[in-house]
Amino acid sequence: MGFIKLVVFGFIGLTVIYFSIAIYSKSVRKERLENEYDAANPDGGEEGARDAYVEKGMVAYNNSIRPKLIGLVYVIPVVTVSVIAYVINTN
Amino acid sequence: MRKIKITIRVLALLVFGLFFHYVLPQHDVVKLTSTEIIRTDFSPYNRIFYAQADSGGVEQPTRDLRLINTQKQKTFLLGFIPRDASSVMVYRNEDTGWIWPPYFKFDSSDLQAEAANLAKGDEWAVITHYGWRIRWASIYPNAVGVRTVSGPDVNVIPWFNIFFFIFLAAGLLFIRAMWRQFRQRTVDPLLDTAGHHVDEVQAEVAERKGRMSRWLGTWKKKDNPQPPPE
Repeated sequence: MGFIKLVVFGFIGLTVIYFSIAIYSKSVRKERLENEYDAANPDGGEEGARDAYVEKGMVAYNNSIRPKLIGLVYVIPVVTVSVIAYVINTN
Repeated sequence: MRKIKITIRVLALLVFGLFFHYVLPQHDVVKLTSTEIIRTDFSPYNRIFYAQADSGGVEQPTRDLRLINTQKQKTFLLGFIPRDASSVMVYRNEDTGWIWPPYFKFDSSDLQAEAANLAKGDEWAVITHYGWRIRWASIYPNAVGVRTVSGPDVNVIPWFNIFFFIFLAAGLLFIRAMWRQFRQRTVDPLLDTAGHHVDEVQAEVAERKGRMSRWLGTWKKKDNPQPPPE
């Protein structure tokens, strides 16, 4: 029973962490893109060009490996638990 | 206010300090003397200081408890400074199971066999354990591992705790960064818009008031300027 509890609540907890990190990572990238655009166009540039630039950058971000790496949030704790269990239970 | 803040911080530090001191692994240099099993009836007060029945078994209000009796080298400062003295120390030996504390220990019987084997000889050993010995409440630290060492003056580096605190600090800094980003990008713009609305409303009210009082002012008697004193 303990194992099922661990899996269920662990999964819920890790999902919360996963989405928090995903949102944070996106937000940081978006801010960087906005700052890049503002630095390149101090006068503000054309109408809608800023949004287009940010949009393009976000598409590139979504296709990159970075957002997939956040999936490690699920992998690392499982590996850690396995290693601890192995080390503790071998003589 | 400042004093209250400091008090709360000190209390929080104390609570977390005690919590980690209880849960994190510590190492004792011991000579194992014997192993035994006693029947244990838990009270509501000391129950939370025990784990549960063996992980394959079922929980009962009373059960047997494995104990490991040792002669322990005393230390100062959480084991960092060795002393030339020893005292008895008794460890319990329970499965922690899958949940808490997360040692995932299922090999209590094996550990008991190892301890019994070491108790026959005269070798020095390091016992890894967590928990406290509180005599008046019959609480024992839980042994999670034992290994032999060459002598009593062995230096054990707590690698796990070092990495644990490094990761804890990194995690806390990360949460702080996340919170700041969330405030800067989500909360502050919302508050700005709200503040803007409030400003607009306030300006409108002020303007209306101004008109009202000016209109009222037209009904007042015109001020007679006092002649300046001579």
